[in-house]
Amino acid sequence: MRKEAVISKGLRHVHLVQAALLLGFFLLLLLPVLTGYSDYILQVFTHALLLATLALAWNILGASGAISLGHAAFFGVGAYGSALLSHDLGFSPWFTIPLGGFLATTVALIVGFLCLRLRGAYFALATLAFVEIPKVITDNWDGLTRGSLGLVGLPGLPTLRLGSYSLDISGSPVGSYYFVLCYALVLVSVVTLIFRSNLGLALQAIREEEIAAQAVGIQVQRYRILSLLVSGFFTGIGGALYAHLIRYVEPGLVYGLHFSAVPMIFAICGGRFTILGPALAALILYPLDQFIFHPLAPAGHEFLYGAIIILTILFMPAGFWGHLRKGQLVSIKTGSIE
Amino acid sequence: MSLLKLEALSKKFGDHWALRDIEFSINPGEIVGLVGPNGAGKTTMFNLITGRHKPSSGRVLFADKDITHCKPHEIRRLGISRTFQSSRPFAKMSTLKNVVAGRIFSTDFDLFTRPSDIETAAQLLELVGIAHKAKLPAGELTLSEQRRLDLARALATQPRLLLLDEVAAGFSPVAVKQAVELVLRVRERGVTLFIIDHFLTLSLRVSDRLLALDRGEKVAEGSPQEVMRNREVIRAYLGMRRKDE
Ligand SMILES: Nc1ncnc2c1ncn2[C@@H]1O[C@H](COP(=O)(O)OP(=O)(O)OP(=O)(O)O)[C@@H](O)[C@H]1O
Ligand SMILES: [Mg+2]
Repeated sequence: MRKEAVISKGLRHVHLVQAALLLGFFLLLLLPVLTGYSDYILQVFTHALLLATLALAWNILGASGAISLGHAAFFGVGAYGSALLSHDLGFSPWFTIPLGGFLATTVALIVGFLCLRLRGAYFALATLAFVEIPKVITDNWDGLTRGSLGLVGLPGLPTLRLGSYSLDISGSPVGSYYFVLCYALVLVSVVTLIFRSNLGLALQAIREEEIAAQAVGIQVQRYRILSLLVSGFFTGIGGALYAHLIRYVEPGLVYGLHFSAVPMIFAICGGRFTILGPALAALILYPLDQFIFHPLAPAGHEFLYGAIIILTILFMPAGFWGHLRKGQLVSIKTGSIE
Repeated sequence: MSLLKLEALSKKFGDHWALRDIEFSINPGEIVGLVGPNGAGKTTMFNLITGRHKPSSGRVLFADKDITHCKPHEIRRLGISRTFQSSRPFAKMSTLKNVVAGRIFSTDFDLFTRPSDIETAAQLLELVGIAHKAKLPAGELTLSEQRRLDLARALATQPRLLLLDEVAAGFSPVAVKQAVELVLRVRERGVTLFIIDHFLTLSLRVSDRLLALDRGEKVAEGSPQEVMRNREVIRAYLGMRRKDE
């Protein structure tokens, strides 16, 4: 009797959460119409979506238990790689964006060899320091990168045509918005695949009890490096997309703390070990910051992130999405839902 | 042919010998108890066999293959599994999934868990008597349930040699009796067992042979009766050592 009550409460909770997710998804799909094609609102949400993809990518490494403070290294290398290849060699961005991803993966491999023997805070600090390496190189290799001045006038993404309908990706806020939305959906699928498969199981085992993970035959270092490479790859893709969307790169911008810290904050706040948490946090918090806190306190609006991270760690260490999903655990306990 | 062979195995931590010049072997199908007082070097021996620590000198042979320098996951794949003195469950994973994890990574990698893996895992939970806790996060089990889970997870890897580190410590008399039956059933599946058992609650009842350690050295080896009559063993257990020893 009481058990059934718990189950039905759990079920109702699950349905509610699913309904909210679906609603949110339709709002995102219709956002341009709903906001009357406001350039400003679309730009904010485009950046929120980009940050969502970065938080999702960060979280692929996060699933192994590692906390990186240096993902801007991958973002910057992806951005510069694609920028230079398309600008100087004239390749199409469709081609150079994946290349930017692969360049970032190479950098991730180096980070892996240098830092992955470390754990916890030591790993985090090592990655924080590591960002300086590609940044200093980019800053000072004037002949290749134009140094600290950056590079302007990058080729944008072309106009997509479907019959009579056309979408100008880089040239119009609507185009950029839908393009990044599509990419975000791709990344959600990738993360879902990783988390739901035995890869995810291995990562969970590693982060929860590394010695036991080894003892059941999991090749701990191999999975840790794999998660770092995949995470670096998609962060690099994100950097490359960003470069072609704003058609401009500069070391201080693409290697900046913003692209290391903000995705991490969103991932932790949304829920490090959840699939959607990091993306949801980005889609809620970034617009909140831009529309409400920025106008209120233009100089100190990033205070919001500091406050949120402290509150999360203190009161919801599993992140808000992880916390919400605990309601589902109730029903898992009673055996009604897998 | 012996299944496991230790040759002049030694481990030094700083300038302290945790194990010194151990010669020992285990035959296929045996149940061997490893006894000795606290700090005797029992867990260290398991850590050396499973590759968690590297010996300072000596060799470990498994089925005639030198595994001294193999990594833990390689040794696992060759067929040695273990439980831990203080259990190490994947705390936030469900109990069932813990066992599934033991199963999956012992074979070639499949991207997705097969239903048969889940079925096997459920049967193992049944075997160790915690099937009713399958959906609970492993961290919420009691300590003795976590021990059983550790055992089920180790069995899921389908070992040829299973090392149990104090599985029955703190068990009630009833639970010890169940553990005795369980160990015998595991042997029936063709698994060789090496059991650390400080208080001898389990090993006296199931072991074919005992190995007794004291302060890193082998002090006796033989049938349980022989070993328990051994004066060195009695002295080690009662703490009656001369100062100069
Ligand atoms: N990682 C380590 N670093 C340093 N010393 C260690 C380490 N592991 C074990 N030792 C030391 O080696 C000796 C043997 O320890 P071990 O854990 O093997 O004993 P044990 O026989 O399992 O004892 P217990 O019954 O208490 O579990 C002890 O003196 C211990 O302090
Ligand atoms: Mg021990």
